[in-house]
Amino acid sequence: MTPGESSSPADTVPCSRCPSPAITVLRNSGIHLCGEHFAEDIEQRVRHSINEYSMIKEGDRIAVALSGGKDSTVLLYLLHKFLHGRKDLEIFALTVDEGIAGYREDTISSAEHISASLGIDHIIVSFREEYGRSLDELLRRRENRACTVCGVLRRQLLQRAARANGATKLATGHSLDDEVQSAMMNILRGDVRRIARVLPSDDASSFVPRVKPLRDIPEREVAMYGMVKGIYVNIRDCPYARFALRSDVRSLMNEMEYRHPGTLHRVMNGYDALTSRVGGMFPNQSLLACRECGEPCTGERCSACALVHSMNRENMGH
Amino acid sequence: MKIRYAQGRTDEISIDVTTIEQVLLQLEINPVEVIVSKNGHLVPEDAMVSNDDEIRIFRIVHGG
Ligand code: SF4
Ligand SMILES: [Zn+2]
Ligand SMILES: [Zn+2]
Repeated sequence: MTPGESSSPADTVPCSRCPSPAITVLRNSGIHLCGEHFAEDIEQRVRHSINEYSMIKEGDRIAVALSGGKDSTVLLYLLHKFLHGRKDLEIFALTVDEGIAGYREDTISSAEHISASLGIDHIIVSFREEYGRSLDELLRRRENRACTVCGVLRRQLLQRAARANGATKLATGHSLDDEVQSAMMNILRGDVRRIARVLPSDDASSFVPRVKPLRDIPEREVAMYGMVKGIYVNIRDCPYARFALRSDVRSLMNEMEYRHPGTLHRVMNGYDALTSRVGGMFPNQSLLACRECGEPCTGERCSACALVHSMNRENMGH
Repeated sequence: MKIRYAQGRTDEISIDVTTIEQVLLQLEINPVEVIVSKNGHLVPEDAMVSNDDEIRIFRIVHGG
């Protein structure tokens, strides 16, 4: 210890904008923020995304996909905060119960809790009612396919329930991390059609347009915002998560983000630029109605019905 | 220094005065994947910690 150095380490690091103790340091800029200024910063950035991508317009009735986990809880909280004074807009929460024993019960009760405490209507739909079986039952011994099956069926059910309830927008809680992971997964799978966004689930006019207000916010900051606001939901991992390619991609990208700060933003910006250019490369397929459920699709059956069909056939066959 | 994980597990390690970030690296945890509180308050990764402190590590669970 040399003279002039303090003998004990400073107990706190001050906020860069006020004398309060910082709770975080923004890694890209080195700026320290206290809870209040951090929350303000997040709110500003989310508002900016909403405006930049024109996510919400007058007269919208917004279905907020609410899993009950931390991201969708923060999304619902923020949309309520931004919009509850607007007479020309409506929001409601929409939860899909996939039927995952020992996991979904907690998130659903947490979804009910946050909706009730904000005074927002809450609709719950389930795989069991819609597809006749829970995800657990559909999967039997094919756990490695869990996230594919879960994702396809949930996306369709969210669309259908949003439309049935008069929604003009479907807002989801995807964070920057989620979006980057999806982009990387498309690349790792060599899925060019998906990179070019020609899948009907994204753009076709008969679908309720999806918006992702948290798409520029890192998952860690979404979680921290939830903690600051006292709405953080700490749940365990989905029991199927470890089978997912996404888990590996997530660790990999987190490693890259730590060693090369800013990687997530750079990947996302590059990917956005790429998809906006290759978007028109494939001819638009015309949409037909699924012969089983009537959902718009490009073949005879929509991907959800085709999947349920094949899972059921396999279940009977073995 | 006492370490609590959000899952309930606890750990005790001995450190020199250092940063939260260094403690996490010593525990082989990627700082990007966790949020840390020191003596009950959220702190940035460059906050200093000593053996008298108790830190709590919240792993960010995917999904939501
Ligand atoms: S981890 Fe996979 S199976 Fe579990 S909820 Fe997410 S997508 Fe569904
Ligand atoms: Zn401040
Ligand atoms: Zn169908």
